[in-house]
Amino acid sequence: MAQALEIIQKQKDSEQWDEPYLVNMGPQHPATHGVLRLFLELDGETIVRCDPRIGYLHRGVEKLSEHRTYSQAMVLTDRLDYIASAANNVGYCLAVEKLMGLEVPRRAQIIRVIVCEMARIASHLLWLATHALDIGAMTVFLYCFRDREWLLDIFEEICGARLTVSYPRIGGVRLDFNQKIIDELYRFTEEFPHRIPEYETLIDVNRIWLKRTKGVGVISGEEAVNLGLTGPSLRGSGVGYDLRRARPYLIYDELDFEVAVEFEGDVYSRYRVRMKEMREANKIIRQCLDKLAECEGEPVIAEDAPDLVIPYGKIKRPEPAPHPKRGYLVKGVEVPIVPEGEVYFAIEAPKGELGYYIVSDGTGHPWRVRIRAPSFVHISALPALSEGQMVADIIAVIGSVDIVLGECDR
Amino acid sequence: MGLVKTVFLTEILKGLSLTLRKLFAKPVTIQYPEEKKPLAPGFRGRHALVRDPATGKDRCVGCYRCAQVCPAQCIYIETERDPETKARIVKKYDIDALRCIFCGYCEEVCPVNAIVLTEFYEYSGYRREDLYFDRERLLKNWDEFIVTQKRPYFNPFWRPRGVPERKLPAAKRRAEGI
Repeated sequence: MAQALEIIQKQKDSEQWDEPYLVNMGPQHPATHGVLRLFLELDGETIVRCDPRIGYLHRGVEKLSEHRTYSQAMVLTDRLDYIASAANNVGYCLAVEKLMGLEVPRRAQIIRVIVCEMARIASHLLWLATHALDIGAMTVFLYCFRDREWLLDIFEEICGARLTVSYPRIGGVRLDFNQKIIDELYRFTEEFPHRIPEYETLIDVNRIWLKRTKGVGVISGEEAVNLGLTGPSLRGSGVGYDLRRARPYLIYDELDFEVAVEFEGDVYSRYRVRMKEMREANKIIRQCLDKLAECEGEPVIAEDAPDLVIPYGKIKRPEPAPHPKRGYLVKGVEVPIVPEGEVYFAIEAPKGELGYYIVSDGTGHPWRVRIRAPSFVHISALPALSEGQMVADIIAVIGSVDIVLGECDR
Repeated sequence: MGLVKTVFLTEILKGLSLTLRKLFAKPVTIQYPEEKKPLAPGFRGRHALVRDPATGKDRCVGCYRCAQVCPAQCIYIETERDPETKARIVKKYDIDALRCIFCGYCEEVCPVNAIVLTEFYEYSGYRREDLYFDRERLLKNWDEFIVTQKRPYFNPFWRPRGVPERKLPAAKRRAEGI
């Protein structure tokens, strides 16, 4: 900030015009997808330096988790990447289950894959909508929202909420699918592959779209790996790294899908990767629905899954204080809800590698929760992607790395 | 890009023909205040305390499970013991809807299906107190809600599908529509 003021002062003082010109973009800019603030140093229309400032949406999710039980902390993860909240929930639950050594029933695993992939499609649709809108394609925006609405309706049917789903539970999921949901999902998977060509007709060969995206924000595969990019932003640079294949979780190793890879490393290839991923996600949902029929009537929550309310003998006051080291009292025996230890578990969220690092001290509350958010890493790659580009291209670049500030600032 | 394509803007024409086709398709928009979308059963909307048709009162037994599990800690309960029968009497049951995050944990843990998040979302208030629901208000919410519903009304979270019977409290296993 001091440096920025200095430059502004210099600009005021001197008559020289060849100095970099400082432009403040955001935090209330419609194309920054939330409250991202960028300091852009411009030489004419070329970006000399791009300096992202974050923290406008900081709510302290990691700290708040320390004062909640494991199940209570799960509802906070809804509010990270709020357009794919189901994937966040699943990631968190998987991390806690790994720490507890809990086996999740097969039906719950299949359902979790379905909601994860639904979240992926919903997230990519919203991404395509807003990204196209930023670049100037209004119609795609409306078509994408039409189809996203359908997915949100299915989410509403599944768990009673459209956006902050809170659907998985530690040890399973909240409740089973009914026949109506399965029929609706079959209809969706039948129809959705015909919807994707509609978006592509509008923008895929449109010369304005191509001019705005091809050769813009190029990053090589090696550089992308060094910057820590994951997800579609990495796969757009020719690195076929997908956690669903590299370290399969849930039932992904049984499913037949392709990892979408493109090799140009520009905004256009990142767009292509996401379009392919939507098709693959649709395929995955279809396969899972068939698998779901095989285990009809099985439970969706593990037998030894922890109760939402931590059992502690007699009820004395609304909020019991656990013993700092030994946990809660159950019928005279002290049982730690989650054993002592630490765990890192990452899933392939729509935006990239979403990791949860949880340290447990054996009480009912996590001692520390750290969230490895893909959006945070992607924002740190913005300078590398945008320096040397034209100022209008920063819009396309921000859109192409797909950031959600709720996840970045946490 | 061929010369013909460049001159005649074929890709733009293709896009325009798609939008033209959509112009005559069935609209997907809903004229909201006049038309309303049917809500899914179990939608997590405004809170209510279920009025038991048998007794005409709420079913709350004052077990504090909802107050305990609430991640936003927006449920305030006070109970006392009946000096003679030693039964627990609920003196106060308040929900601060402004703090609520609508996760639905309360209705999930309630052993007697007393608290429910109804499928009603069109409410607002001019003052903070308007959205601070006390026990009478919560029962009123239920009365307002239930008259709009097809009877018998059954919330899917009263007896969650796919959860083994052993894991459910007795009242949830026996839950029936109202």
